[in-house]
Order: sequence, then C-alpha cells, then structure tokens
Amino acid sequence: MSLLRVRGLTVAIHGTPILREVSLDVAPGRILGVIGESGSGKSMTALSVMRLLPSGAEVSGTVRLDGQVLTDFSERRMRAVRGAQVGMVFQEPMTALNPLQTIGDQVSETLRLHDGLSPRLARARAREVLDRVGLPDPEFPLGRYPHELSGGQRQRVVIAMAIARRPKLLIADEPTTALDVTTQAQILALIRRLVDEDGMGAILITHDLAVVSGVADDVAIMRAGEVVEAGPTAEVFAHMRHPYTRALFDASGHHPDRPPHEGDVPLLQVEGAVRRYPGRRLGLWGRAAPKVAVDGVSFNLRHGENLGLVGESGCGKSTLTRAILGLEPLQGGRIALDGAPIVAGAVSVAARARLQVVFQDPYGSFNPRHRVARLVTEPFHLLDRPPTGPARDIAVAEALEAVGLQASDARKHIHEFSGGQRQRIAIARALIIKPSLIVLDEAVSALDVQVRAQILDLLADLTERYRLSYLFISHDLHVVRRITDRVLVMKEGRIVEEGPTEAVFANPTHAYTRSLLAATPVLPTRAAG
Amino acid sequence: MLRYGLRRAASMLVSLAVASVVIFCAIEVVPGDPAQYMLGLNASPDTVAALRAELGLDQQPVTRYMSWITGMLRGDFGISYTYRTPVAQMVADRLWISLPLALYALILSTAIAFPVGIMAAARRGSVVDMGVIGATQLGIAVPNFWFAMILVVIFAINLGWFSAGGFPGWEGGLLAGIKALTLPAIALALPQASILARVMRSALIDTLGEDFVRTARAKGLSRRQVLWRHALRNALIPVLTIIGLQFSFLLAGAIIIENVFYLPGLGRLVFQAIAARDLIVVESVVMLLVFAVILVTFLVDLAYAWVDPRLRGAR
Repeated sequence: MSLLRVRGLTVAIHGTPILREVSLDVAPGRILGVIGESGSGKSMTALSVMRLLPSGAEVSGTVRLDGQVLTDFSERRMRAVRGAQVGMVFQEPMTALNPLQTIGDQVSETLRLHDGLSPRLARARAREVLDRVGLPDPEFPLGRYPHELSGGQRQRVVIAMAIARRPKLLIADEPTTALDVTTQAQILALIRRLVDEDGMGAILITHDLAVVSGVADDVAIMRAGEVVEAGPTAEVFAHMRHPYTRALFDASGHHPDRPPHEGDVPLLQVEGAVRRYPGRRLGLWGRAAPKVAVDGVSFNLRHGENLGLVGESGCGKSTLTRAILGLEPLQGGRIALDGAPIVAGAVSVAARARLQVVFQDPYGSFNPRHRVARLVTEPFHLLDRPPTGPARDIAVAEALEAVGLQASDARKHIHEFSGGQRQRIAIARALIIKPSLIVLDEAVSALDVQVRAQILDLLADLTERYRLSYLFISHDLHVVRRITDRVLVMKEGRIVEEGPTEAVFANPTHAYTRSLLAATPVLPTRAAG
Repeated sequence: MLRYGLRRAASMLVSLAVASVVIFCAIEVVPGDPAQYMLGLNASPDTVAALRAELGLDQQPVTRYMSWITGMLRGDFGISYTYRTPVAQMVADRLWISLPLALYALILSTAIAFPVGIMAAARRGSVVDMGVIGATQLGIAVPNFWFAMILVVIFAINLGWFSAGGFPGWEGGLLAGIKALTLPAIALALPQASILARVMRSALIDTLGEDFVRTARAKGLSRRQVLWRHALRNALIPVLTIIGLQFSFLLAGAIIIENVFYLPGLGRLVFQAIAARDLIVVESVVMLLVFAVILVTFLVDLAYAWVDPRLRGAR
C-alpha cells in the first residue's frame, strides 16, 4: 500500500515544460531517493506535492496522500496538510531559519498553528521534539537563535520543525548537500531513524548516488522532467536498465586517466605557516585568545604534481589557500613559489603570473558585462609584454580550444554558457598566461556528476600538455582520490596526515582521516554487465 | 545588549567631540569679522577692537573653544551678536516649533509609508503595486514647497479649514498648535513617505524571496501570516535606517517649508544668522543639530539591536 501516489504529474511554468508524466510511490516507513542532475525536475516534484510551485505554474495529473487527492485541495485545505501531514526540509540550513526568531519559537509555531496549542504547551512539545532530533536541553535551550548554531545543528532544527506534528510524509530536498561529510552522515542517520520510529514515508532528493544508495529503500532517477527508472534501490543499482542510470553511475565513479607523477623538484614550499586572527573583543580593552586558523603548516608541492587538500569547513583550508595566493598575511613561517617569496600585498608580478586560481562558483566569478575574450585575457596585465592584435586573438582561441570550447565563443557573453562551460572558461582564464600552478578551490563542487567527470578529464589532460601542477582543495574525498597524486588532510589548522593519495585512502593512519572516510557515502560496486 | 548600548553610547560621545572641533574650526576660517559687521564699515578701529574684546573674540582659539564647550554644557550658549539676547533662549523658542513639526511629519510619513509599502509588496505586480510605484515616483519628484502651495490653495484658501501660515504659539492650546503645523507637516511628509514606502516595498519583496519564508510556508502558514510573522521584522533594518535619516533631515531641512508657512523654526533662524554673520548663533544651532542627528543615529542603532538578535552580541 503506498502512502504517496503521484500519477502523470505534468507541470509547466509560463508555458515551459518542467515535469512530464511523473509517477512515483512512497510507502510508509520507507525512503524514496529521487536522483537527478540540476534542472531534472526533482525539486519541482517536491514543490508540486506541497503545492508550493512558483506563480504561473500549470499542473495536471494527481497527487494522492493517504487517499486524499491533494491536487484537488483548495489552498485553505492545503495549508492544513503542509507542516501537519507533510513536512519539508530544504537544502540550505544557513538560510532556512528566520534569523530573528528563537529556535523554540520556530518549532513551536508549527504546533500552535495546527493544534492550537497554548504557547506554554507548544514550547514544552517543542522541547521534546528538539531532544528527539539530537539537540538536548541544557546545551540547546529554546531561546537559542539560529546564528548561534552550526550548519548541521540548524538542519536539525529544520528537521524538528518538519517532524514536530509527526507527519505522514517527510520531503527532504538535498538536506545534506551544504554540509560536511561527517555532519552529512549524522543527518542521514537521523532521517533514517525518524522514518523507522514514526513509520512515516520520506522522499530524499539528491544529486549524489552514493548518498541514496546508503540510505534509500527505493530510488527514482529523473532526467529532464521525467522519471527514467524507478524501483527498489538494490535492484535498480544491480541492473541499471536505463542507459542514463548507467551514465550517471559511471560519471559518479569516473576516474580520469593520468600518468603517475614523477620528479622531486619543489614548486610551492610552505614552511611553518601561521595565521592568527585577533580574538573577539571583551569589554572595552580586553580580548579573547586569538583564533589560530592556520597553525604551523608545512608542505611541498612538486613540479607537475597534483596535490589534494581535504578537510571540513572551518579547518583552515580556505585561509591557507588565501595565504598561498598572497591574499592573507602570515604571522609566522613562509611561503615560496619556485624560490620567490609570497608575502601578502607584496607578491611580485612574475610570481603572480605563475600562480592562477579557479573558484567554486561558476556563476559569481565573472563580470557579466564583459565578453569572453576580455574575461579570458584578464591575467594579461601580469605579463611584461602582453600580446596585442592578432597575437591576442590567437592566444584567446588557443586557451578556449584547450578547454574544449570554440574560438568563436570569445565574442559571447558569460550568460550564454552553462555552469560546466563557465568552469571551462574559468580554467581557460587561468591557463592563458601559462602558469606553473593552478589552485582549484572546490572547483568542481558545484557541478553535476557528468559535467564534473568531463572537467576532471580536462584537468588531467591539461596537466600533461602544459606541465601544470594543481593544488586541489575540496571537501569531497571521492574527487580528491581520483585526481591527485598526494593528499594533505587538514584539521583545526594543522595537517594531520600526508601521503600518496592511494596509500592514505587505503590505509589511513590518523583517526580523523579514518572518521572522514567512514562518513563518506560509498557508491555500490556495480554488478557485472 | 547592555554592552552593545554602552559601546554605541561611547562612540556617540566621541563623534560629538570630533564634531564640535570641526564646527569650531569651520567657523574660525569663515571670512568676515562679526564685530566689524555689527558696527558697520565706518567704525573706527578702536571701537571694533573694544567690541571684539567684549565679545571675547580677541582671545586664543583654544580658550574660546573651551569656554564655548563648557558654556554649552551648562546650558549657556552665549549672547547673540545681533539680537543681544541669550542664544539658548532663541534656540529653545525655535526648537519648540521645529521639533514638533519634524516629529509630526515623521509620524505622518511612517503612517502612510508602512501600509502602502506593505500592501504593494504583498500584491507585487498587481494594479495596486503599479499604482504605488507611480504615486511614490511622483511624490519623490515633486518638491515639497509645491505640495505646500497646493495644500494652502485647497485647504486654507478654498476650504478655509486651516490658516495659510503663521504659528499661534503653544500658549493658545495644544490643538491650535497642532492645527497650525498640520499643513506644513503634510507637505514635509509626502516626499518622505514616498521614499519610505519604496524602501519598505523593496525590502519586503527581498525578504519574501528568502529561504526562511519558504520554510514558513512549508509549515502551513498562509502568505499573509508569513508576511506579518516572519518577513516584516526582517525587512525593518533598511526601513529604520531611512527613518533615522529622515528625522535628521526634517529637523534642519524644513527651512523652505518654514518660509512658505511663515513658521519661526530653526531653519529660518540659521538662515538669518548666517546672513547677519551672527556666528555664535550659527555655531550653537549647528552643534545642536549635530547632537540631534547623533542622538537619532544612536536610537536607530538601539532599534537595530532590538530587531536583530545577531547585533546584540556583536561589537
């Protein structure tokens, strides 16, 4: 017997088709994992069930919850369903809570709204619910504000709000995408536990096959607004009947071809780097102890080597990266690129030209008013004699073609490109002045798995052709494993483990590395054929 | 919260001290000798020197600054060069008109802007919203003295409900005073209300697009409930900033409206004092206005902290 039964759900927004004939079933006590790349319609499916689609949406098909036809409900009746019978958890815990209200008020609001509980009773119930999601009493009083909590704790509050009324169905839309691996594992375990305890059904929306395979009972794979394959998780992953499922799976585990790295000439040297921030002010003159973001870090990156730097948010990897780029002063130690010192505010033009960076967000890192030719040639100001006229055009064409785009793309604006293409343009921009080292700061984290696989191939190919070195910073251990020769594991400002990537992943020596690896969701090994 | 308040208060005192020095220096470098000006061009140098000594103008700047500041702290603002009366009394008389007028206009402006801005944001893209956008555009574009003249023509000349200008004084009763200030306050409030309504509208629209609004909807709240319970308070920060700026502007910037309605307010006093080189009056009034602006900024800072818990622990 299914709890949620979606049949022939078709949605268009202002005439643009979003969902085509989507059919899904969720049984009580089971988790349905909905997988798809961005734009596949997985979030829109969730919002259709909640009837919270943006204005201008035309919907046909039926959504039945426990026998009630939600698609026929008035907005008024729907409001009694939302929060009471269906709870929803969203992707971004940092912004999903009202910053001006205490967590107690926000959780009890659900209870007061649907059950008409008195404020006192609602708060008492809110206390129980917060205890249940792992935010126990003395440490997490109801009077806490969201900004006083970490991302994972906030996500627990959002989950508490969603399950406060013991709904029949829980919809979680990418609930762990913004979280670190260890936090992700905890949140997934929490959702699993609540589903088991309450016997509710759940939809877990994600782009990550590994996450789904670990926690979902059933899966549905979506592409371009359609469900291409659905069934029990083990069965779908064992057979992969649809080619798209197979493509997605292959891309998730894609391993670019890279020759092993040889040679031992250091390119980037970091020796005892220390970065301290002044502590918070106390009273008029006092200060708290300084916060040490980078605490005596030393390592070498060799010519032609791909070095990975992994760690959870707040471990200091971003600060270290900024210091390497000469954007952050050090209080101790030194950083040198091929012997030339890198000191914040005084990096020589020559050194800067040998060091380029690609950032995470392919949407925010370009000036939207400029054409690609101008964007790509931005680093030219670092050259003594930058090419002009036809030579410049040739350089632009070469860089674009090197990253798999066309020379004619130079005349376009950035909004004409997809996320993956933009990331290629960002790489072209780094590449155009032939640097020795490219720092890739979460450069593939925002990309869909298939695009990510292509970019990883491109990066592997470029290392060989241009004798490039990469410093690859990521929280995604799978990706680091596939693209790097050596890896550094960072925790609380220190490097806790360092070694050849395969050795570290196969036999981690430090407890922290082991816990990171244990928390990382694993792709199921694929059945033969 | 207390620590935040004390910190803001300390920074307010520093701002005041800096402002007093700047004002004093600015007045120092202004050309023209008040004594010479008061006595006319044909005065003998001896007479001018005698008057300078009497006014204390022959002393060192530092001495004069100190006596100016300590005087002000005691409530003694000095004697006006031209009127020969205590500046404190003159300023106090004018303040009794300017302060109520500014408050009146601010209350009107807020009372108009909040409902209008909220209504427009709640029905974004509707006819109501379009109407609000058009009307507020007009309200910002049209100068307030023009509003003042139209109001006089309609309500004073044609309908005869209000007098066209002048102020009977508060001795004539509270109601008569308020009545005399009503048309000027409306004329001052209309452009301010237009600005404030637009800020309210866009702040609220931004907030309604936030993730936590979606979360609240998923809890089962209606659009209206989300707007009142979650969005409005989050949209208040930019609105409070504008209200603070508007009060400062209304206190000193009402000079044209004061002229249209023949109101003896602060703006007119400064204008006359500048024209007459009555520097001690200018100095005192400017210092007073700076004090008012800094005080309002302080109150706005406290209001921020009241609205936003994230600011209470910070700095």
